[in-house]
Amino acid sequence: MKPAEFGYLRPGSVTEALESLADQPEAKPLAGGQSLLTLMNLRLARPQTLLDLGGLAELERTFDDTDALVLGALTRHRTLETDPLIAERAPLLAAMAGQIGHVGVRNRGTLGGSLAHADPAAELPMAMLTLGATVHVESAARGKRSLPAEDLFLSFFTTSLEYDELITWVSVPTIKPRQGWGFREYARQHGDYGLVGAACLLTLDNAGRIAGLRVGLLNAADRPLLHDERDGTADALGEPPSRRLWERLARSLADRTEPSHPDVEYARGLCADALVEALDAATARIPGGTRP
Amino acid sequence: MTGTHQPYAGTSVARTEDADLLAGEGRFVADLAGDARQVVFVRSTEPHARVLDIDVAAARAVPGVLGVHTARDLGLDGRALPSLTTPNPAFVEATSFSMAEQRLPLLATDRVHYVGQPVAVVVAIDRYAAEDAAELVEIAYQPLDPLLDPEHALTAEPLFDHLPDNELARIGYSFGDPATAFARAHRVVEGEYRMGRHGAVPLEARGVLARPDRRLDRVEVTTSTQIPHLVRDSIRSVTGWAEHEIRVRVPDVGGGFGTKANVYAEEIVLAVLARRTGLDLAWIEDRGEHLTAAAQGRDQLHRTRLAVDERGHILAWSDDFLVDAGAGSLWIAGIVANTAVHALGPYRVPSATIRGRAALTNKTIMAQYRGAGRPEAAFALERSLDAAAAELGIEPREIRERNLLTDADLPYPRPIPYRDGVPISYDGADYRACLRAVNDLLPATTAEELTAEHPDALVGYGLGCYLEATARGPYETARLRVLDDGRIEVLTGAASAGQGHATVFVQVAADALGLAMDRVRYLPSDTGELPDGIGTFASRSAVVAGSAVHEGALRLLERGRARAAATLPGDGPVDYVDGGFVRAGHRIGWAALARSTRVGGDAEATALDVTCVFRPETVTWTMGAHAAIVAVDRRTGFVSVLRYAVAHEGGRELNPRIVRGQILGGVAQGIGGTLLERFGYDDSGQPVSSTLAAYHLPLTTDVPPIDVAHLHVDSPGNPIGARGAGESGTIAAYPAISAAIDDALGRPGLVTTTPVDTAALWRALRDEPAEVAR
Repeated sequence: MKPAEFGYLRPGSVTEALESLADQPEAKPLAGGQSLLTLMNLRLARPQTLLDLGGLAELERTFDDTDALVLGALTRHRTLETDPLIAERAPLLAAMAGQIGHVGVRNRGTLGGSLAHADPAAELPMAMLTLGATVHVESAARGKRSLPAEDLFLSFFTTSLEYDELITWVSVPTIKPRQGWGFREYARQHGDYGLVGAACLLTLDNAGRIAGLRVGLLNAADRPLLHDERDGTADALGEPPSRRLWERLARSLADRTEPSHPDVEYARGLCADALVEALDAATARIPGGTRP
Repeated sequence: MTGTHQPYAGTSVARTEDADLLAGEGRFVADLAGDARQVVFVRSTEPHARVLDIDVAAARAVPGVLGVHTARDLGLDGRALPSLTTPNPAFVEATSFSMAEQRLPLLATDRVHYVGQPVAVVVAIDRYAAEDAAELVEIAYQPLDPLLDPEHALTAEPLFDHLPDNELARIGYSFGDPATAFARAHRVVEGEYRMGRHGAVPLEARGVLARPDRRLDRVEVTTSTQIPHLVRDSIRSVTGWAEHEIRVRVPDVGGGFGTKANVYAEEIVLAVLARRTGLDLAWIEDRGEHLTAAAQGRDQLHRTRLAVDERGHILAWSDDFLVDAGAGSLWIAGIVANTAVHALGPYRVPSATIRGRAALTNKTIMAQYRGAGRPEAAFALERSLDAAAAELGIEPREIRERNLLTDADLPYPRPIPYRDGVPISYDGADYRACLRAVNDLLPATTAEELTAEHPDALVGYGLGCYLEATARGPYETARLRVLDDGRIEVLTGAASAGQGHATVFVQVAADALGLAMDRVRYLPSDTGELPDGIGTFASRSAVVAGSAVHEGALRLLERGRARAAATLPGDGPVDYVDGGFVRAGHRIGWAALARSTRVGGDAEATALDVTCVFRPETVTWTMGAHAAIVAVDRRTGFVSVLRYAVAHEGGRELNPRIVRGQILGGVAQGIGGTLLERFGYDDSGQPVSSTLAAYHLPLTTDVPPIDVAHLHVDSPGNPIGARGAGESGTIAAYPAISAAIDDALGRPGLVTTTPVDTAALWRALRDEPAEVAR
């Protein structure tokens, strides 16, 4: 379990990193290394060159914008989990980050690394979908562009990033009044991948009816799944939240999943239950959301 | 002996090993490798194939590579792992035991039988270069259909050319009148119980360091093993080397649990290769290798029938079992015989028919994983008792109360010999007392109390009993000698794999000699210092090696007394007081005696040095009862063990905290085997559990508080009164946890297979009546 031979670069700035990527199409950016280094040790990944982003302190910062938090791509999972600002403004993200692996993994793993790795079982890709995050990427040749998170994830460990692009920042919309969030993951053991996981962001109008609903599912397909008003949750709009509605919705969304688990019926059943729990939790977080 | 010595045995002396280990100062084999060249094994990627060609040319050309070798160029073509044991003739006679001759090659040449089997070996300046080269060894395979189902294997084409079929071993015995008992029974419950393939997976994987010494014409092998003498003997058997040409030493070992009570091809190849190349060589197994190529365990199917009367008394017991031994097992005799012998459990069983077979398949080789047949046998019998209790409408505890052997029954002879040929006689005091004690520690009412704390789960309570033959012979050795400062050095043939030998054997020697523990030094096992020995496994070391230390110390004391009698003024008896010899007011200590044996002393060149062999007459039996409380999550079927208790009838505890540690660790491994651990193979025979992301070990968060009660009954079979406890924590965990799951779901007999399938529990939960399911 030793990696095959690789070259190593450690740029001092984003600009330098982008130039290196452009010059060396075979280079692979290394962030926290919690997935990549394991794959390299198993020789399942064999990058010719590692581009170690560890020196790019500029990407470890967080900015509080008006309606969004702008998070550097090198923000550690542990920071997402414990930063009071993030907990207040994006509590779903903080809760989900706290479910990643063990604390040692969270101390090293990074937001941008997790998104670029695009593991369908990972928490942060699903969090970005659920929250409607915007991913900012840069390349030396074409400069900056931004894309909605749902356009990033294509398939197992495959993103829409070009070879010369680097995720630099992520804008996460902050939670609004009349919004509630929920997240539930069923993992067999502490720190293990979730067999299933579901997250949601629910918006109610002043009359207590559903004005918006975004649902994320992990380990449910070849990529993290998003269901929003355009796909899957429109029927709920205008309805008051109820356990019956949640169960119906969860069942219909779970039935559309293609889990990797060999027992598909079991995985779909758990997926539906996890989503009901997440939806219940979201409802309860909105004042007046749960009627007596 | 007189004086003020307070015995150490029976007290929880802190482990002397721990200060170094906890500070990261342990010296494991990888720590000792220094600048040795690194060895990597090229392993079969096929579960079953003919080997048409092995091309090492490209691998040899990799920079940093010093050699790439196959069986042919090492002179090992056709050389197989030597067998380790010969079954006792009386046992063979009584149980119709037979086994096939195994020829597992050291390095495969013509045919491979499992993924992970060693085929070639690379030597390089570092592990990186060695792995680069290993990838370039081109092996042309002609794939053959893999055999993955042991039942099918028994009737399929033989996997080995020298064998007529794939039956690796067979055993069978019967006593009483089972046919009549089954015919006349009030109830007969039938069952089919499977225990999945899993194993030890110690924190430290395997590793071997081989250093040739040209001057002495000897190879020194340091290997992470429980059985250094058997490793030496196997190397000698393959090479024909004289005993002085090979020395095997044991470094700190980070867990063995039976996986390292095995002799491996890697150990023999390293020794041969070191002598041939003249290089210091290190092979340090990585986790991926360990999870595919190190010997595994369990993997048994039991088909059972239990006949009971109206009150649940056992009338007859029938267990027909099948072991999937993978591509082979040097310990298949032990596994099959253990399973058959322990099938009878701690109960009054008047009639029985026990049959067993082991089949060869294309899975990884097998070793004696902690319990080695005992957990599988206990699972079948205990689950059958629960099924009978449910059938009769009595409590699981009640059926055990009625069948457990008590002081009125014990000692209890059985009409078969143990594996050593000695007729079996359970030497305990009162097995029902253990059931009552475990119930006191953890009563079923605690499950009801915990229900309120776990509203999302169903909570259940389960019991399991076991009886374990411990401390098997035929012997173990100890050597004690007096050092020049009067300290006593002790070592044994039973190598430590982390159990605490450096503490316990020092306690035993210090007590026998009336010395403070710091006057006794422990030396790790080393065939160069102690030429005979067997090793650490089968819950034997504290008892058998401990007894050898004890008797050796007493013999040393008599040597010392004789020496003192020749030295001290006056005549008459020499007393031994507070670590010194006294006569007529004159005193001489061990240091002065030691000096008298040195040049110029009055006993010049007569070392105070004894080697003692302890031969137990036969095994001594440890019985115990386990109680488990589990929570089964209503939504997911996930199982958590909430509470656990073990009450065991052990012997004299040399160090109670170490015994307790053995129980706790054993329970943790039992939890893992029952709920989480599985070496899986896909339909093509490829292993699918080759990382720790796929092979789920129990974590600290999976192991609950565990209470242990020790019911002390001195063993009659040895001078220190000890009984083995190394496997006691594991054996009954499987049935106890399974019973608790059944109880939680109100579905007796639901769990018949481990590891427990949470999807099956989830389906069972959905069949529940609505009021139970909320």
